[in-house]
Amino acid sequence: MEKLNSGYGKLQILFDIDLEVPKGEITTIVGPNGSGKSTFLKSLFGLTDIYSGRVTYEGRDITYTPPHEKTKMGISYLPQTNNVFTNLTVRENLRIAGYILNGDELEERINFALEVFPELRGILDRKAGSLSGGQRQMLAMATALVRKTRILMLDEPTAQLSPKLAQVIFDKIVELRDNYDITPILVEQNAKRALEISDVGYMFVSGRVAYGGSAKSLLNHEKFQSYFLGVVGIEEC
Amino acid sequence: MIDVLIGAIVWSNLLVLLALGLTMTYITTGVPNFAQASFAIVGSYIALTLLRLIGLNPYLSIPVTFILGGILGISTYYIALKPLIKRKASIEMLMIATLAWDLILFGIIGAYSEVLSAITKKTETLFVFTSLDFNIYGIPGRLVVSSLLVLLTILGLYLLLYKTKFGIALRASMENPSLAEAMGINVENTRLFSWFLSGALACMAGSVLPYLQEIIPQTGYFIVVSIFAASIVGGLYHIVGALVGGYIIGVSESLFTYILSILLGPGVLVYSKVISLLMMIVTILLHPRGITGTEMWRRVERWLNL
Repeated sequence: MEKLNSGYGKLQILFDIDLEVPKGEITTIVGPNGSGKSTFLKSLFGLTDIYSGRVTYEGRDITYTPPHEKTKMGISYLPQTNNVFTNLTVRENLRIAGYILNGDELEERINFALEVFPELRGILDRKAGSLSGGQRQMLAMATALVRKTRILMLDEPTAQLSPKLAQVIFDKIVELRDNYDITPILVEQNAKRALEISDVGYMFVSGRVAYGGSAKSLLNHEKFQSYFLGVVGIEEC
Repeated sequence: MIDVLIGAIVWSNLLVLLALGLTMTYITTGVPNFAQASFAIVGSYIALTLLRLIGLNPYLSIPVTFILGGILGISTYYIALKPLIKRKASIEMLMIATLAWDLILFGIIGAYSEVLSAITKKTETLFVFTSLDFNIYGIPGRLVVSSLLVLLTILGLYLLLYKTKFGIALRASMENPSLAEAMGINVENTRLFSWFLSGALACMAGSVLPYLQEIIPQTGYFIVVSIFAASIVGGLYHIVGALVGGYIIGVSESLFTYILSILLGPGVLVYSKVISLLMMIVTILLHPRGITGTEMWRRVERWLNL
């Protein structure tokens, strides 16, 4: 992503974002509320207005590629809320996730997703709207697996989950990176825990990149500690 | 009384078809289509044209009106709405656009009725098909055909929406278009399909409507209230709402008017649409999401595992 400026209509949210996501590593974006973290993911996926700048993927310019085309390229985006179809059953959600696949391949991918998320096997005929928060999040991640995701963008995947369930989700994200060659990009409020499982970290403040580097270095960075851990007083970046 | 009941069921059947289209396009595009009633009148005139020019019975012209109606629906979306949606027009602007499109259709229907009159040397600005209807053991054809159309439409929609990949995609797009797009679904195609179906069902209903009442180019203005009332009372956010609302409005309108005409005299017949209007206002005030938006309805759905 080079010098990206984006937002919604006349409201610019992101300013000159320069950022790189290494393949096969977990990249986490942290920052205070309103810093543009979610807008960043939406801009990557093509759900915002892009004023200038460039997004490239494997050398190809995808700045203005529509979302459904990006999905075909293996890029998935799971929003914080409304990330499953509540009126469809779990099975229908998995089927629709592989909309672009043919019959045999679709069944194969659904079986694969159910191997990674065996918790869903017993609830295939339940409406997604009746699932618990953790089950819904797992279903959302399973849908991404069905459609052969290579880059998985997750917006606050552990929001409103108990610490125990959040840990399950974090473990699954690590499993996706380690065992299934998926590159996760996370936006998380649970910043410390997310950075602990990540390889790369970026900190956004007021729509700009305030810091970027290894996740470990960000965890120990003074600005991160001032914003999230209250080690030093809150200061302007 | 039997005739009133038959009329009420036929009118309800046609309202269901008309309201189904209105609800579908509202869910997928987010705009209430004020031209829905004019779609039906276009269907009536297509049936009349085929009758006059090639002698085709209006019931047999239903497949043709269905396809031409679908094309009209898609044209409405492409010409009147898509350019505005691209410019991120507000919902109010889109509503006004459908109103303007309705006026254009009204003008075209009026002019066309005059042209047809000149060709056939008959008055085509007012017509009915009642004399062409058939009977099966005393049951009028309009009751049989309109009921069959509703049954086939519901069965077809059920098979499409629940048993096909495209149908599930359509339901997904209706619930959450941006997520559907993220899944690789071309949401634009599902919108186009809903406009096709909306126009097709309306024109199909329009080809049966002259068996029930006189048609003039302005008929759309009289029935549009009932169509909106059916969709809103049933629930504008749920396809089944059109089915529920269609029967409630159709039966209430016909039966209440009949009862009031007995009590107060035949003068009240011209005010039959007031009943639909009142039911619509009460629904908007008390429960804007309509019957299918109530907790009780959700319980029924859970019970039926829908």
